[in-house]
Amino acid sequence: MDNIIFELSDVHFSYLGKFPALCGVNMNIRQGEKITLIGANGCGKSTLLSILDGLIFPDKGSVKFLGKEFKETDFTDENFSKNFRKKVGLVFQNPEVQLFCPTVKEDIVFGPLALGTEIAEIQRRLEEIIDLLEIKDLLNRTPHQLSIGEKRKVTIASTLIIHPDILILDEPTDGLDPLTTRHIIDLLLQLNEAGKTIIMATHDLHIVQEMSDFVYVFSNNKTIIKFGRPDVILKDMALLLENNLAHIHSHRHKDKVHTHPHLHSGHLTD
Amino acid sequence: MINYHNFIERSITGALSFLKESVFADQYAAKKGFLQSLDPRIKTITFMVFIVLIIFTKDIRVLFFMYALCLLLGSISKINLWFFLRRSWIFIPLFSIFIAIPALFNIVTPGETLVALKIFGIKLTITRQGFFGASLFVARVVTSVSFAVLLTLTTKHFELLKVLRIFKIPQIFVMTLGMCYRYIFLFVEIVSSTYLAVKSRVGSRIHYRTGQHLAAWNIAALWQRSYRLNEDVYNAMLSRGYRGESFALNDFRTKTKDWLWVCLVVIISAGVSYFNYG
Repeated sequence: MDNIIFELSDVHFSYLGKFPALCGVNMNIRQGEKITLIGANGCGKSTLLSILDGLIFPDKGSVKFLGKEFKETDFTDENFSKNFRKKVGLVFQNPEVQLFCPTVKEDIVFGPLALGTEIAEIQRRLEEIIDLLEIKDLLNRTPHQLSIGEKRKVTIASTLIIHPDILILDEPTDGLDPLTTRHIIDLLLQLNEAGKTIIMATHDLHIVQEMSDFVYVFSNNKTIIKFGRPDVILKDMALLLENNLAHIHSHRHKDKVHTHPHLHSGHLTD
Repeated sequence: MINYHNFIERSITGALSFLKESVFADQYAAKKGFLQSLDPRIKTITFMVFIVLIIFTKDIRVLFFMYALCLLLGSISKINLWFFLRRSWIFIPLFSIFIAIPALFNIVTPGETLVALKIFGIKLTITRQGFFGASLFVARVVTSVSFAVLLTLTTKHFELLKVLRIFKIPQIFVMTLGMCYRYIFLFVEIVSSTYLAVKSRVGSRIHYRTGQHLAAWNIAALWQRSYRLNEDVYNAMLSRGYRGESFALNDFRTKTKDWLWVCLVVIISAGVSYFNYG
């Protein structure tokens, strides 16, 4: 049980006190792991990521960070808040939400400036990050002029520049073309090899195998129905079908109609 | 094809063309002209000096000289003259002509008669003092508005916002301005897409009452979306360490050219002041 970063016990959360979003989630996340949360739309993945990032807090149950339970009141302490924000970074699902500054450059440096990082260090990190993500040409552009792939890269840059140990990503490949998806996945794998913990919510089962040490499957009951190694989870077709992660696909081979489960992940179709 | 009899379509098209024009104006700021090459801080201060000088100028010839200087600066900054005149003169009637017209007449400014008029049986005279006073006022407005427009055309909007932050304008004010600029584009796009979606289902010929209902529904939906976005953006700010205070990265660098420009501005200001008060 060493190196546990997040420990969630019986976490419940509801919006406005009447729309349940999480119903009894238990989860342990260890340092350096790659974790993937999969599930149908509206099953609570994004809510869970917001809880892990300390943006919302459970109605019931507890969330421990590095062995210590954290509550909303802890974030009124400037030191705790700064330390937490330096360690945990969240890339939002909707880039329009995360890119709120007039230019890409100001968006990227917003975090480190708010966290009191030295100017020289910010400049150094900025150079490093724009080289890594190949976004030098975008720096002086306004976010509304960018394509979805460019926006996604900038949101990742604006989180990575903080140098968080734990990177949380909400559907980072949603709406991206295959090449940009590959680029982002390669980058995340590289960051994980460098020791960062990656927690990601996705529908894209293409990327689950290589992006996960463990996969958590959410059910429509807003709870985790199963977790395990990706090869085990992805082979459990009944589980995937039941939770809207795969569908029955039929197509014609010459004069015969052929039907099989399909989950957009080549090795699993038969 | 735009239906110009349809108020909603006309408004949305107008907003979109404003959006396009703003992006187009930003292209002027990106050009490699004289004013674009100056440090935005120096440029803003020197233009403020020019505007203050203009406000205190009593001689219309000095104002003509300043206006000519403004046009010259525009031309060496690769600003299309016609575009510049359109942009600056659009504000002139708004700020000056309507205020200046009454000052022409003897009722407001008594003095030596220049032209006598009879309007609806009322005898009015335009006085020499009124005419010169109004001309001076309009010339001041024309020149100062032109300098302000030239500053905004040759400076990227985010650089202007950053200059405001560096000059210690309250950050909440600057941040609100920045976010308005950032999200107005998003909302205009949402409104335009929503309208197109409605049009694709009901066609362009709709009863005005239905049009009113659709517009009201659109406003309500947009308000809801903006409210939701407001919460999400705040969370995104918190997530990156925002605690009620944000900072700007001051990465402006002055060059020799900037200091030469400052020297030139000092010389012009001294000359203008001498001409005014000497």
